[in-house]
Amino acid sequence: MSQMTRFTLACFAALVAAWLLSGERFLDAVFNMMDLGSLDDTIIAGVVVLEDWKAGLSLPDVFGSMRMAIHRGLGLL
Amino acid sequence: MVFPTLQFIGFFAVVLALNGLFWNSNALRKGMLLLASYVFYAAWDPRFVLLMAFVSLVAWAAGLGVRVPGLRRLSKVASIAAMLGVLAVFKYFDFFMFQLQALLQDTAFARDLTWMTVILPVGISFYTFQAISYVMDVDRGHIPPCRNPFDVALFISFFPQLVAGPIVRAAHFLPQLDNPRRPDAAARATAVVLILSGLFKKMVVANYLSVLLVDPAYGLPDGQYWLSALAATLGYAIQIYCDFSGYSDIAIGVALLLGYEFNRNFNQPYRADSLRDFWQRWHISLSTWIRDYLYIPLGGGKGGAPRRTFTLILTMTLAGLWHGAGWNFILWGFLHGAGQAVERGFRGMNVALPRLLAIAVTFVIVALLWIPFRAHTFPDTLSMLAAFGKTEGYAAPELTVTVWALIAVGFAMNWLPLSWRDRATMTLARLGPEIQALILGIGIFTLFATAQEGVAPFIYFQF
Repeated sequence: MSQMTRFTLACFAALVAAWLLSGERFLDAVFNMMDLGSLDDTIIAGVVVLEDWKAGLSLPDVFGSMRMAIHRGLGLL
Repeated sequence: MVFPTLQFIGFFAVVLALNGLFWNSNALRKGMLLLASYVFYAAWDPRFVLLMAFVSLVAWAAGLGVRVPGLRRLSKVASIAAMLGVLAVFKYFDFFMFQLQALLQDTAFARDLTWMTVILPVGISFYTFQAISYVMDVDRGHIPPCRNPFDVALFISFFPQLVAGPIVRAAHFLPQLDNPRRPDAAARATAVVLILSGLFKKMVVANYLSVLLVDPAYGLPDGQYWLSALAATLGYAIQIYCDFSGYSDIAIGVALLLGYEFNRNFNQPYRADSLRDFWQRWHISLSTWIRDYLYIPLGGGKGGAPRRTFTLILTMTLAGLWHGAGWNFILWGFLHGAGQAVERGFRGMNVALPRLLAIAVTFVIVALLWIPFRAHTFPDTLSMLAAFGKTEGYAAPELTVTVWALIAVGFAMNWLPLSWRDRATMTLARLGPEIQALILGIGIFTLFATAQEGVAPFIYFQF
Protein backbone atom coordinates (compact mmCIF):
# COMPACT_ATOMS: atom_id res chain seq x y z
CA MET A 1 0.00 0.00 0.00
CA SER A 2 1.46 3.38 -0.98
CA GLN A 3 2.27 6.02 1.63
CA MET A 4 -0.36 8.36 0.17
CA THR A 5 -3.03 5.64 0.45
CA ARG A 6 -2.08 5.12 4.08
CA PHE A 7 -2.24 8.88 4.64
CA THR A 8 -5.70 9.08 3.02
CA LEU A 9 -7.04 6.12 5.01
CA ALA A 10 -5.69 7.65 8.23
CA CYS A 11 -7.41 10.94 7.33
CA PHE A 12 -10.70 9.05 6.95
CA ALA A 13 -10.12 7.32 10.29
CA ALA A 14 -9.47 10.71 11.90
CA LEU A 15 -12.66 12.04 10.34
CA VAL A 16 -14.68 9.13 11.76
CA ALA A 17 -13.07 9.66 15.17
CA ALA A 18 -13.90 13.38 15.00
CA TRP A 19 -17.49 12.53 14.13
CA LEU A 20 -17.77 10.08 17.03
CA LEU A 21 -16.41 12.63 19.51
CA SER A 22 -18.20 15.79 18.44
CA GLY A 23 -21.82 15.49 19.54
CA GLU A 24 -24.37 16.45 16.90
CA ARG A 25 -22.24 18.95 15.00
CA PHE A 26 -21.96 16.82 11.89
CA LEU A 27 -25.72 16.49 11.77
CA ASP A 28 -26.00 20.29 11.97
CA ALA A 29 -23.50 20.56 9.13
CA VAL A 30 -25.51 18.18 6.97
CA PHE A 31 -28.64 20.26 7.52
CA ASN A 32 -26.67 23.36 6.50
CA MET A 33 -25.12 21.93 3.36
CA MET A 34 -25.94 22.94 -0.21
CA ASP A 35 -29.33 22.05 -1.63
CA LEU A 36 -28.97 18.78 -3.50
CA GLY A 37 -32.64 18.42 -4.36
CA SER A 38 -34.05 14.94 -3.87
CA LEU A 39 -30.65 13.65 -2.73
CA ASP A 40 -30.99 15.71 0.46
CA ASP A 41 -33.63 13.45 1.98
CA THR A 42 -31.58 10.31 1.34
CA ILE A 43 -28.41 11.80 2.79
CA ILE A 44 -30.17 13.20 5.85
CA ALA A 45 -31.98 9.91 6.47
CA GLY A 46 -28.66 8.04 6.28
CA VAL A 47 -26.94 10.49 8.62
CA VAL A 48 -29.81 10.29 11.11
CA VAL A 49 -29.48 6.49 11.22
CA LEU A 50 -25.73 6.85 11.88
CA GLU A 51 -26.33 9.52 14.52
CA ASP A 52 -28.84 7.24 16.27
CA TRP A 53 -26.28 4.45 16.29
CA LYS A 54 -23.68 6.84 17.66
CA ALA A 55 -26.04 8.05 20.39
CA GLY A 56 -26.39 4.41 21.50
CA LEU A 57 -22.65 4.30 22.17
CA SER A 58 -22.98 7.14 24.76
CA LEU A 59 -19.62 8.65 23.71
CA PRO A 60 -18.54 11.92 25.34
CA ASP A 61 -18.79 15.20 23.41
CA VAL A 62 -15.04 15.83 23.50
CA PHE A 63 -15.39 18.64 20.97
CA GLY A 64 -17.90 20.53 23.13
CA SER A 65 -15.84 20.12 26.33
CA MET A 66 -12.67 21.14 24.53
CA ARG A 67 -14.40 24.15 23.02
CA MET A 68 -15.67 25.31 26.39
CA ALA A 69 -12.25 24.88 28.01
CA ILE A 70 -10.40 26.72 25.23
CA HIS A 71 -12.88 29.58 25.12
CA ARG A 72 -12.90 29.98 28.87
CA GLY A 73 -9.11 29.76 29.06
CA LEU A 74 -8.46 32.29 26.30
CA GLY A 75 -11.25 34.69 27.18
CA LEU A 76 -12.76 34.35 23.71
CA LEU A 77 -16.43 34.75 22.80
CA MET B 1 -18.17 26.12 -0.23
CA VAL B 2 -15.45 27.64 1.89
CA PHE B 3 -12.38 25.96 3.33
CA PRO B 4 -12.94 26.07 7.10
CA THR B 5 -16.23 24.16 7.07
CA LEU B 6 -17.23 20.56 7.69
CA GLN B 7 -18.76 20.52 4.20
CA PHE B 8 -15.38 21.25 2.65
CA ILE B 9 -13.62 18.69 4.82
CA GLY B 10 -16.09 16.02 3.68
CA PHE B 11 -15.81 17.15 0.07
CA PHE B 12 -12.02 17.18 0.15
CA ALA B 13 -11.80 13.77 1.82
CA VAL B 14 -13.78 12.28 -1.07
CA VAL B 15 -11.70 14.13 -3.71
CA LEU B 16 -8.45 13.05 -2.04
CA ALA B 17 -9.57 9.42 -2.03
CA LEU B 18 -10.68 9.52 -5.69
CA ASN B 19 -7.47 11.30 -6.65
CA GLY B 20 -5.49 8.42 -5.19
CA LEU B 21 -7.81 5.83 -6.73
CA PHE B 22 -7.47 7.32 -10.23
CA TRP B 23 -3.76 8.13 -9.91
CA ASN B 24 -2.74 5.74 -12.68
CA SER B 25 -5.32 7.08 -15.13
CA ASN B 26 -4.51 10.73 -15.71
CA ALA B 27 -7.54 11.36 -17.93
CA LEU B 28 -9.94 9.97 -15.30
CA ARG B 29 -8.19 11.91 -12.56
CA LYS B 30 -8.33 15.19 -14.45
CA GLY B 31 -11.98 14.58 -15.28
CA MET B 32 -12.75 13.94 -11.63
CA LEU B 33 -10.88 17.09 -10.55
CA LEU B 34 -12.74 19.17 -13.15
CA LEU B 35 -16.09 17.81 -12.00
CA ALA B 36 -15.13 18.36 -8.35
CA SER B 37 -14.09 21.94 -9.13
CA TYR B 38 -17.43 22.69 -10.78
CA VAL B 39 -19.30 21.10 -7.85
CA PHE B 40 -17.19 23.24 -5.48
CA TYR B 41 -18.18 26.37 -7.41
CA ALA B 42 -21.81 25.30 -7.85
CA ALA B 43 -22.13 24.98 -4.08
CA TRP B 44 -22.08 28.78 -4.01
CA ASP B 45 -24.45 29.38 -6.96
CA PRO B 46 -24.95 26.83 -9.75
CA ARG B 47 -25.97 29.49 -12.30
CA PHE B 48 -22.50 30.98 -12.49
CA VAL B 49 -20.87 27.71 -13.43
CA LEU B 50 -21.95 28.49 -16.99
CA LEU B 51 -20.14 31.81 -16.85
CA MET B 52 -16.92 30.12 -15.81
CA ALA B 53 -17.36 27.51 -18.53
CA PHE B 54 -17.89 30.31 -21.06
CA VAL B 55 -14.68 32.08 -20.00
CA SER B 56 -12.79 28.76 -20.21
CA LEU B 57 -14.16 28.07 -23.69
CA VAL B 58 -13.21 31.55 -24.90
CA ALA B 59 -9.69 31.16 -23.50
CA TRP B 60 -9.24 27.72 -25.08
CA ALA B 61 -10.49 28.86 -28.50
CA ALA B 62 -8.39 32.02 -28.37
CA GLY B 63 -5.32 29.97 -27.43
CA LEU B 64 -5.74 28.01 -30.65
CA GLY B 65 -6.69 31.10 -32.66
CA VAL B 66 -3.65 33.22 -31.78
CA ARG B 67 -1.42 30.60 -33.41
CA VAL B 68 -3.31 30.70 -36.73
CA PRO B 69 -1.79 33.19 -39.19
CA GLY B 70 -4.27 35.92 -39.96
CA LEU B 71 -6.38 35.17 -36.88
CA ARG B 72 -3.85 36.12 -34.25
CA ARG B 73 -4.88 39.70 -33.62
CA LEU B 74 -8.60 39.02 -33.90
CA SER B 75 -8.41 36.06 -31.51
CA LYS B 76 -6.43 37.99 -28.95
CA VAL B 77 -8.46 41.20 -29.03
CA ALA B 78 -11.87 39.52 -29.22
CA SER B 79 -11.15 37.04 -26.43
CA ILE B 80 -9.67 39.59 -24.06
CA ALA B 81 -12.54 41.97 -24.80
CA ALA B 82 -15.03 39.17 -24.09
CA MET B 83 -13.35 38.23 -20.82
CA LEU B 84 -12.96 41.83 -19.68
CA GLY B 85 -16.55 42.35 -20.78
CA VAL B 86 -17.70 39.58 -18.44
CA LEU B 87 -15.71 41.21 -15.64
CA ALA B 88 -17.09 44.67 -16.48
CA VAL B 89 -20.72 43.51 -16.47
CA PHE B 90 -20.61 41.30 -13.39
CA LYS B 91 -18.22 43.29 -11.27
CA TYR B 92 -18.46 46.92 -12.32
CA PHE B 93 -21.91 47.40 -13.87
CA ASP B 94 -23.64 48.41 -10.62
CA PHE B 95 -20.80 50.75 -9.72
CA PHE B 96 -20.85 52.61 -13.04
CA MET B 97 -24.65 52.83 -13.12
CA PHE B 98 -24.61 54.28 -9.63
CA GLN B 99 -21.98 56.84 -10.66
CA LEU B 100 -23.97 57.75 -13.75
CA GLN B 101 -27.13 58.18 -11.71
CA ALA B 102 -25.30 60.41 -9.23
CA LEU B 103 -23.93 62.45 -12.13
CA LEU B 104 -27.39 62.93 -13.62
CA GLN B 105 -29.03 63.58 -10.25
CA ASP B 106 -29.11 67.35 -10.47
CA THR B 107 -29.70 67.66 -14.18
CA ALA B 108 -32.74 67.54 -16.40
CA PHE B 109 -31.65 64.02 -17.34
CA ALA B 110 -32.06 62.58 -13.83
CA ARG B 111 -33.17 58.96 -14.07
CA ASP B 112 -33.56 56.01 -11.78
CA LEU B 113 -30.94 53.67 -13.19
CA THR B 114 -31.22 50.97 -10.55
CA TRP B 115 -33.43 48.87 -12.83
CA MET B 116 -31.04 45.99 -12.66
CA THR B 117 -28.60 44.84 -10.03
CA VAL B 118 -25.95 42.31 -10.86
CA ILE B 119 -24.79 39.60 -8.47
CA LEU B 120 -21.01 39.50 -8.18
CA PRO B 121 -19.91 35.92 -8.91
CA VAL B 122 -17.39 34.69 -6.36
CA GLY B 123 -13.81 34.61 -7.62
CA ILE B 124 -14.59 36.17 -11.01
CA SER B 125 -11.56 38.51 -10.86
CA PHE B 126 -9.28 35.57 -10.16
CA TYR B 127 -10.40 33.18 -12.85
CA THR B 128 -10.78 35.91 -15.48
CA PHE B 129 -7.19 37.00 -14.88
CA GLN B 130 -6.00 33.41 -15.18
CA ALA B 131 -7.86 33.04 -18.46
CA ILE B 132 -6.39 36.28 -19.83
CA SER B 133 -2.88 35.26 -18.81
CA TYR B 134 -3.32 31.95 -20.66
CA VAL B 135 -4.21 33.70 -23.93
CA MET B 136 -1.39 36.24 -23.49
CA ASP B 137 1.18 33.55 -22.72
CA VAL B 138 0.21 31.52 -25.79
CA ASP B 139 0.29 34.67 -27.90
CA ARG B 140 3.76 35.57 -26.61
CA GLY B 141 5.00 32.05 -27.31
CA HIS B 142 5.71 31.28 -23.66
CA ILE B 143 3.55 28.15 -23.81
CA PRO B 144 2.07 26.09 -26.66
CA PRO B 145 -1.72 26.25 -27.08
CA CYS B 146 -3.56 23.57 -25.19
CA ARG B 147 -5.51 21.30 -27.56
CA ASN B 148 -7.67 19.79 -24.84
CA PRO B 149 -10.46 22.19 -23.75
CA PHE B 150 -10.90 20.26 -20.50
CA ASP B 151 -7.29 20.96 -19.50
CA VAL B 152 -7.88 24.70 -19.95
CA ALA B 153 -11.15 24.39 -18.03
CA LEU B 154 -9.37 22.60 -15.18
CA PHE B 155 -6.56 25.19 -15.15
CA ILE B 156 -9.16 27.96 -14.77
CA SER B 157 -11.49 26.19 -12.33
CA PHE B 158 -9.13 24.09 -10.18
CA PHE B 159 -10.93 24.38 -6.85
CA PRO B 160 -8.06 25.06 -4.40
CA GLN B 161 -7.29 28.40 -6.05
CA LEU B 162 -10.61 29.12 -7.74
CA VAL B 163 -12.23 31.74 -5.57
CA ALA B 164 -9.38 33.65 -3.96
CA GLY B 165 -6.15 32.70 -5.69
CA PRO B 166 -3.24 32.40 -5.85
CA ILE B 167 -3.54 33.44 -9.50
CA VAL B 168 -1.83 30.49 -11.14
CA ARG B 169 0.05 30.83 -14.44
CA ALA B 170 -0.66 28.38 -17.24
CA ALA B 171 3.06 27.90 -17.87
CA HIS B 172 3.42 26.69 -14.30
CA PHE B 173 0.24 24.63 -14.00
CA LEU B 174 -0.53 23.05 -17.37
CA PRO B 175 2.69 20.98 -17.53
CA GLN B 176 1.82 19.61 -14.08
CA LEU B 177 -1.50 18.32 -15.41
CA ASP B 178 0.30 15.72 -17.49
CA ASN B 179 3.05 15.06 -14.97
CA PRO B 180 1.56 15.33 -11.48
CA ARG B 181 3.88 14.55 -8.60
CA ARG B 182 2.64 11.94 -6.17
CA PRO B 183 2.91 13.65 -2.77
CA ASP B 184 5.92 12.25 -0.89
CA ALA B 185 6.59 12.58 2.84
CA ALA B 186 8.03 16.10 2.45
CA ALA B 187 5.11 17.30 0.32
CA ARG B 188 2.59 15.88 2.80
CA ALA B 189 4.45 17.51 5.69
CA THR B 190 4.51 20.86 3.89
CA ALA B 191 0.79 20.52 3.15
CA VAL B 192 -0.06 19.69 6.76
CA VAL B 193 1.91 22.68 8.07
CA LEU B 194 0.38 25.02 5.48
CA ILE B 195 -3.19 23.83 6.05
CA LEU B 196 -2.93 24.05 9.84
CA SER B 197 -1.18 27.44 9.84
CA GLY B 198 -3.68 28.76 7.27
CA LEU B 199 -6.65 27.59 9.31
CA PHE B 200 -5.14 29.06 12.47
CA LYS B 201 -4.59 32.43 10.78
CA LYS B 202 -8.13 32.50 9.42
CA MET B 203 -10.26 30.79 12.06
CA VAL B 204 -8.53 32.11 15.13
CA VAL B 205 -6.62 35.32 14.44
CA ALA B 206 -8.55 36.92 11.56
CA ASN B 207 -12.07 35.94 12.58
CA TYR B 208 -11.72 36.90 16.24
CA LEU B 209 -10.03 40.21 15.39
CA SER B 210 -12.88 40.91 13.02
CA VAL B 211 -15.60 40.19 15.56
CA LEU B 212 -13.97 41.59 18.70
CA LEU B 213 -12.28 44.68 17.27
CA VAL B 214 -12.42 45.65 13.62
CA ASP B 215 -16.13 45.28 12.82
CA PRO B 216 -17.32 47.13 15.95
CA ALA B 217 -14.77 49.95 15.41
CA TYR B 218 -15.54 50.41 11.71
CA GLY B 219 -19.25 50.02 12.41
CA LEU B 220 -19.15 53.37 14.24
CA PRO B 221 -15.97 55.23 13.24
CA ASP B 222 -17.31 58.46 14.77
CA GLY B 223 -17.34 56.82 18.17
CA GLN B 224 -13.64 55.92 18.23
CA TYR B 225 -10.70 57.61 19.96
CA TRP B 226 -6.96 57.41 19.45
CA LEU B 227 -6.33 54.08 21.17
CA SER B 228 -9.31 52.26 19.63
CA ALA B 229 -8.46 53.75 16.21
CA LEU B 230 -4.88 52.58 16.64
CA ALA B 231 -6.01 49.09 17.72
CA ALA B 232 -8.52 48.89 14.84
CA THR B 233 -5.88 50.00 12.32
CA LEU B 234 -3.33 47.47 13.59
CA GLY B 235 -6.10 44.89 13.94
CA TYR B 236 -7.26 45.27 10.34
CA ALA B 237 -3.69 45.12 9.03
CA ILE B 238 -3.32 41.80 10.84
CA GLN B 239 -6.84 40.58 10.00
CA ILE B 240 -6.49 41.04 6.25
CA TYR B 241 -3.01 39.52 6.26
CA CYS B 242 -4.11 36.45 8.24
CA ASP B 243 -7.37 36.14 6.30
CA PHE B 244 -5.84 36.26 2.85
CA SER B 245 -2.48 34.61 3.46
CA GLY B 246 -4.37 31.98 5.47
CA TYR B 247 -6.52 31.21 2.43
CA SER B 248 -3.43 31.04 0.21
CA ASP B 249 -1.67 28.69 2.65
CA ILE B 250 -4.67 26.34 2.71
CA ALA B 251 -5.02 26.48 -1.08
CA ILE B 252 -1.34 25.65 -1.61
CA GLY B 253 -1.51 22.84 0.96
CA VAL B 254 -4.68 21.32 -0.49
CA ALA B 255 -3.24 21.43 -4.05
CA LEU B 256 -0.04 19.83 -2.81
CA LEU B 257 -1.95 16.87 -1.37
CA LEU B 258 -3.53 16.39 -4.80
CA GLY B 259 -0.11 16.43 -6.50
CA TYR B 260 0.13 20.04 -7.73
CA GLU B 261 2.48 22.82 -6.69
CA PHE B 262 1.52 26.49 -6.50
CA ASN B 263 4.01 29.26 -5.96
CA ARG B 264 4.10 31.11 -2.66
CA ASN B 265 1.66 34.05 -2.55
CA PHE B 266 2.91 35.85 0.58
CA ASN B 267 6.39 36.41 1.89
CA GLN B 268 6.21 38.18 5.26
CA PRO B 269 4.73 41.37 3.76
CA TYR B 270 5.04 43.46 6.92
CA ARG B 271 8.82 43.02 6.81
CA ALA B 272 8.89 45.13 3.67
CA ASP B 273 11.21 48.14 3.77
CA SER B 274 9.41 50.06 1.01
CA LEU B 275 6.06 50.02 -0.76
CA ARG B 276 7.75 48.48 -3.79
CA ASP B 277 9.11 45.75 -1.52
CA PHE B 278 5.65 45.34 0.04
CA TRP B 279 4.14 44.55 -3.36
CA GLN B 280 6.87 41.96 -3.96
CA ARG B 281 5.75 40.22 -0.76
CA TRP B 282 1.95 40.76 -0.71
CA HIS B 283 -0.34 38.77 -3.03
CA ILE B 284 2.69 38.00 -5.16
CA SER B 285 0.65 36.24 -7.85
CA LEU B 286 -1.39 39.41 -8.45
CA SER B 287 1.66 41.72 -8.31
CA THR B 288 3.51 39.68 -10.91
CA TRP B 289 0.36 39.39 -13.06
CA ILE B 290 -0.05 43.16 -13.01
CA ARG B 291 3.64 43.66 -13.79
CA ASP B 292 3.64 41.24 -16.74
CA TYR B 293 0.26 41.95 -18.33
CA LEU B 294 -0.41 45.59 -17.40
CA TYR B 295 2.61 47.59 -16.23
CA ILE B 296 5.09 46.40 -18.88
CA PRO B 297 2.61 46.61 -21.80
CA LEU B 298 1.72 50.15 -20.65
CA GLY B 299 5.36 51.15 -20.98
CA GLY B 300 6.78 50.04 -17.64
CA GLY B 301 10.08 51.68 -16.86
CA LYS B 302 10.41 53.19 -20.34
CA GLY B 303 10.34 56.90 -21.11
CA GLY B 304 11.14 59.91 -18.98
CA ALA B 305 10.35 60.37 -15.31
CA PRO B 306 6.85 61.86 -15.84
CA ARG B 307 5.86 59.00 -18.17
CA ARG B 308 7.17 56.35 -15.79
CA THR B 309 5.41 57.96 -12.84
CA PHE B 310 2.16 58.11 -14.79
CA THR B 311 2.43 54.44 -15.78
CA LEU B 312 3.17 53.39 -12.21
CA ILE B 313 0.27 55.33 -10.70
CA LEU B 314 -2.14 54.22 -13.43
CA THR B 315 -1.16 50.58 -12.95
CA MET B 316 -1.62 50.70 -9.19
CA THR B 317 -4.93 52.56 -9.52
CA LEU B 318 -6.19 49.83 -11.84
CA ALA B 319 -4.91 47.26 -9.33
CA GLY B 320 -7.02 49.05 -6.73
CA LEU B 321 -10.04 48.87 -9.02
CA TRP B 322 -9.42 45.13 -9.46
CA HIS B 323 -9.97 44.74 -5.73
CA GLY B 324 -13.45 46.16 -5.88
CA ALA B 325 -15.85 48.46 -7.66
CA GLY B 326 -15.61 51.40 -5.30
CA TRP B 327 -13.87 54.75 -4.99
CA ASN B 328 -12.21 53.57 -1.77
CA PHE B 329 -10.36 50.83 -3.68
CA ILE B 330 -9.42 53.28 -6.45
CA LEU B 331 -8.08 55.71 -3.85
CA TRP B 332 -6.18 52.92 -2.11
CA GLY B 333 -4.53 51.83 -5.36
CA PHE B 334 -3.77 55.40 -6.39
CA LEU B 335 -2.10 56.16 -3.04
CA HIS B 336 0.01 53.00 -3.29
CA GLY B 337 1.09 54.10 -6.76
CA ALA B 338 1.80 57.67 -5.66
CA GLY B 339 3.74 56.36 -2.67
CA GLN B 340 5.91 54.20 -4.89
CA ALA B 341 6.50 57.16 -7.20
CA VAL B 342 7.71 59.22 -4.22
CA GLU B 343 9.96 56.35 -3.14
CA ARG B 344 11.41 56.20 -6.63
CA GLY B 345 12.19 59.91 -6.38
CA PHE B 346 14.02 59.41 -3.08
CA ARG B 347 15.96 56.49 -4.53
CA GLY B 348 16.98 58.71 -7.44
CA MET B 349 18.40 61.19 -4.90
CA ASN B 350 20.16 58.36 -3.07
CA VAL B 351 18.14 59.00 0.09
CA ALA B 352 17.69 55.85 2.16
CA LEU B 353 16.51 55.21 5.70
CA PRO B 354 18.15 52.66 8.01
CA ARG B 355 16.45 49.30 7.30
CA LEU B 356 14.57 48.95 10.60
CA LEU B 357 13.26 52.49 10.36
CA ALA B 358 12.30 51.90 6.72
CA ILE B 359 10.35 48.78 7.75
CA ALA B 360 8.53 50.72 10.48
CA VAL B 361 7.70 53.65 8.16
CA THR B 362 6.49 51.27 5.45
CA PHE B 363 4.26 49.40 7.89
CA VAL B 364 2.73 52.64 9.18
CA ILE B 365 1.96 53.77 5.61
CA VAL B 366 0.54 50.38 4.59
CA ALA B 367 -1.59 50.18 7.75
CA LEU B 368 -2.94 53.71 7.27
CA LEU B 369 -3.74 52.96 3.63
CA TRP B 370 -5.83 49.98 4.76
CA ILE B 371 -8.23 52.49 6.37
CA PRO B 372 -9.96 53.61 3.13
CA PHE B 373 -9.81 49.99 1.95
CA ARG B 374 -11.80 48.85 5.00
CA ALA B 375 -13.94 51.93 5.66
CA HIS B 376 -15.71 51.81 2.26
CA THR B 377 -16.73 55.51 2.30
CA PHE B 378 -14.81 58.78 2.45
CA PRO B 379 -16.74 60.07 5.51
CA ASP B 380 -15.95 56.87 7.42
CA THR B 381 -12.30 57.05 6.34
CA LEU B 382 -12.07 60.64 7.56
CA SER B 383 -13.85 59.77 10.83
CA MET B 384 -11.38 56.96 11.51
CA LEU B 385 -8.42 59.22 10.75
CA ALA B 386 -9.91 62.01 12.93
CA ALA B 387 -10.29 59.51 15.79
CA PHE B 388 -6.49 59.46 16.15
CA GLY B 389 -6.81 63.03 17.52
CA LYS B 390 -9.56 62.25 20.06
CA THR B 391 -8.99 61.28 23.67
CA GLU B 392 -12.47 59.87 24.27
CA GLY B 393 -14.81 57.68 22.26
CA TYR B 394 -18.40 56.68 22.90
CA ALA B 395 -18.52 53.41 20.96
CA ALA B 396 -15.02 51.99 21.17
CA PRO B 397 -14.73 48.20 21.22
CA GLU B 398 -13.43 46.71 24.45
CA LEU B 399 -9.64 46.55 24.17
CA THR B 400 -9.11 43.39 26.16
CA VAL B 401 -5.89 41.43 26.68
CA THR B 402 -7.26 38.90 24.15
CA VAL B 403 -7.50 41.59 21.46
CA TRP B 404 -3.91 42.77 21.97
CA ALA B 405 -2.74 39.15 22.18
CA LEU B 406 -4.41 38.37 18.83
CA ILE B 407 -2.65 41.36 17.25
CA ALA B 408 0.66 40.19 18.72
CA VAL B 409 0.11 36.63 17.47
CA GLY B 410 -0.76 37.97 14.02
CA PHE B 411 2.47 39.96 13.95
CA ALA B 412 4.36 36.88 15.06
CA MET B 413 2.86 34.91 12.14
CA ASN B 414 4.35 37.53 9.83
CA TRP B 415 7.69 37.92 11.59
CA LEU B 416 8.61 34.38 12.66
CA PRO B 417 11.69 33.24 10.74
CA LEU B 418 10.76 31.00 7.83
CA SER B 419 13.42 28.57 9.05
CA TRP B 420 11.14 27.74 12.02
CA ARG B 421 8.41 26.61 9.66
CA ASP B 422 10.94 24.71 7.57
CA ARG B 423 12.23 22.95 10.68
CA ALA B 424 8.68 21.95 11.72
CA THR B 425 8.09 20.67 8.19
CA MET B 426 11.30 18.65 8.20
CA THR B 427 10.40 17.09 11.56
CA LEU B 428 6.94 16.21 10.28
CA ALA B 429 8.40 14.75 7.07
CA ARG B 430 10.29 12.18 9.09
CA LEU B 431 7.03 10.80 10.56
CA GLY B 432 4.93 8.07 9.01
CA PRO B 433 1.87 8.95 6.91
CA GLU B 434 -0.55 7.80 9.63
CA ILE B 435 1.06 10.13 12.19
CA GLN B 436 1.02 13.00 9.69
CA ALA B 437 -2.70 12.42 9.11
CA LEU B 438 -3.32 12.19 12.85
CA ILE B 439 -1.56 15.52 13.45
CA LEU B 440 -3.64 17.08 10.66
CA GLY B 441 -6.84 15.63 12.16
CA ILE B 442 -6.10 16.68 15.75
CA GLY B 443 -5.01 20.12 14.55
CA ILE B 444 -8.20 20.71 12.57
CA PHE B 445 -10.33 19.36 15.45
CA THR B 446 -8.66 21.73 17.91
CA LEU B 447 -8.93 24.72 15.57
CA PHE B 448 -12.64 24.08 14.98
CA ALA B 449 -13.09 23.91 18.76
CA THR B 450 -11.27 27.23 19.15
CA ALA B 451 -13.07 29.05 16.36
CA GLN B 452 -16.27 31.00 16.82
CA GLU B 453 -19.60 29.57 15.67
CA GLY B 454 -20.65 30.17 12.09
CA VAL B 455 -18.68 30.73 8.93
CA ALA B 456 -16.96 34.05 8.28
CA PRO B 457 -16.29 34.50 4.55
CA PHE B 458 -12.80 35.33 3.39
CA ILE B 459 -12.28 39.04 2.68
CA TYR B 460 -10.88 38.38 -0.80
CA PHE B 461 -13.97 36.41 -1.86
CA GLN B 462 -15.63 39.73 -2.70
CA PHE B 463 -12.88 40.52 -5.20
